[in-house]
Amino acid sequence: MASIDISVRGLSKHFGPVRAVHDLTFDVPAGQVTGFLGPNGAGKTTTLRMMLGLVGPTAGQALICGRAYADLPQPRRAVGAVLEATGFHPARRGRDHLRIAAHTAGLPTARVEEVLDDVGLSDAAGRRVGGYSLGMRQRLGLATALLGDPQVLVLDEPANGLDPAGMAWLRDLLRERAATGRTVIVSSHVLSEIAQTADRVVIVARGRLTFDGPLADLHTRDGSLEDAFLRLTTDHDDPAAAAAVR
Amino acid sequence: MLTLIGNEWLKLRTTRGPWILLAVQLALITLGAAGPLSNMPLDQAATATGAVAHVGLTSLVALMLGILVVAGEYRHKTITDTYLGTPRRSRVVVAKLAVATTAGAGFAVLGAGLSLIVTWGWLTAAGHTMPWSDAELWRTVAGDVAWNAAFAAIGVGIGALVRNLAVAVAGSLAWLALVEGIVGQVAGRDVTRYLPFSAGTALGRLPASIADGLPQWGAATLLAGYAVLFASAAVAFTARRDVA
Repeated sequence: MASIDISVRGLSKHFGPVRAVHDLTFDVPAGQVTGFLGPNGAGKTTTLRMMLGLVGPTAGQALICGRAYADLPQPRRAVGAVLEATGFHPARRGRDHLRIAAHTAGLPTARVEEVLDDVGLSDAAGRRVGGYSLGMRQRLGLATALLGDPQVLVLDEPANGLDPAGMAWLRDLLRERAATGRTVIVSSHVLSEIAQTADRVVIVARGRLTFDGPLADLHTRDGSLEDAFLRLTTDHDDPAAAAAVR
Repeated sequence: MLTLIGNEWLKLRTTRGPWILLAVQLALITLGAAGPLSNMPLDQAATATGAVAHVGLTSLVALMLGILVVAGEYRHKTITDTYLGTPRRSRVVVAKLAVATTAGAGFAVLGAGLSLIVTWGWLTAAGHTMPWSDAELWRTVAGDVAWNAAFAAIGVGIGALVRNLAVAVAGSLAWLALVEGIVGQVAGRDVTRYLPFSAGTALGRLPASIADGLPQWGAATLLAGYAVLFASAAVAFTARRDVA
């Protein structure tokens, strides 16, 4: 049995009457790539932000390596996260962005050059991020996440802006991390994006858990993967949407 | 904590905003000094003091710097990365306060140096002597630097509370340009002299404030109080709010 690096227990986030995330419980095991799936607005980003201590839960908790994120002694060395491609100051140079992150984590400057090389941004590192393409920003975000060589990697929609070559590169990177016993959770609203990468999937719809298990189980239970995904994420109280699935 | 302060300094100097603000501040100080020097009698010490007092008025720039240090991070969403690296948010805010206040004071010291050089050069060129031993001149310089430091700290507080860069900048400028004046017309000088900008003018020994403003030490204490109030509110609010 693989060890559990992320454990989510009864996690809820309500914004007034809106139940963005409701009573979510699941585990993310080490040594595998876990796909975190759901349509837009299903509560994926809110859940990931709660895991990372950015959003306070209404109820429940999310523990990473047995602790709340804020209690991790060296958060950047335990967890690497890529949350949004826009989280950069446009006037700052790519290298400086990484130097700042490395400095807080007490990591040597040499590590900055290593991750720049890993994500293929060494040549662009001296340029201001404002001139980067979306794909380059995703790579810079990944470089930031990889700085501390963390046990856990959390990626929110990392495929946005990556070209096919970038996608293939990302797939290899995630597989390699899992193969060395690391934990990877990667969110997406498109099943096909992670069907080739993920070992397990956690599916949420309207803030609730609808599936949690090996990707293969999703297959056998419902015919094609895409059908299964649609069935698990469709609001059956909505006649139009339900008809589309049938 | 020292690592965090070093980190905030690194963030500050790897963007262009702070350096543009410094350039604006130095230009305003030079222009400001030229006014009294070309209109007032050069043989009086008050002229030199009036020229240098513009360093205090550029505390508006220090206020913008303080706002930028926090709200700029929300504007560009770098705040997410900041809190991922340092989940104890109150420590981030304290580090930002330290860096902004020091930068505000440091920029003001540079501005004061420039202002003194310009004034000295002008007076010397016109055949007059610089009143180096005038106590009021140094009181003004010290007050101006303190005013800048206090406004930078208040700026951090406003930035952390408002979080929206444009709203924070527009709101604080409107307060300084409009609200204190309107309050003054309604409630009178007895009330306005306790408001932040008026307290600043008294601390910075602006000629207009010397007659009916607070005494300099009183203004310093009051402004420090405002800075502590805004900073505490910033620390308290930042810890609780979600970063979406």
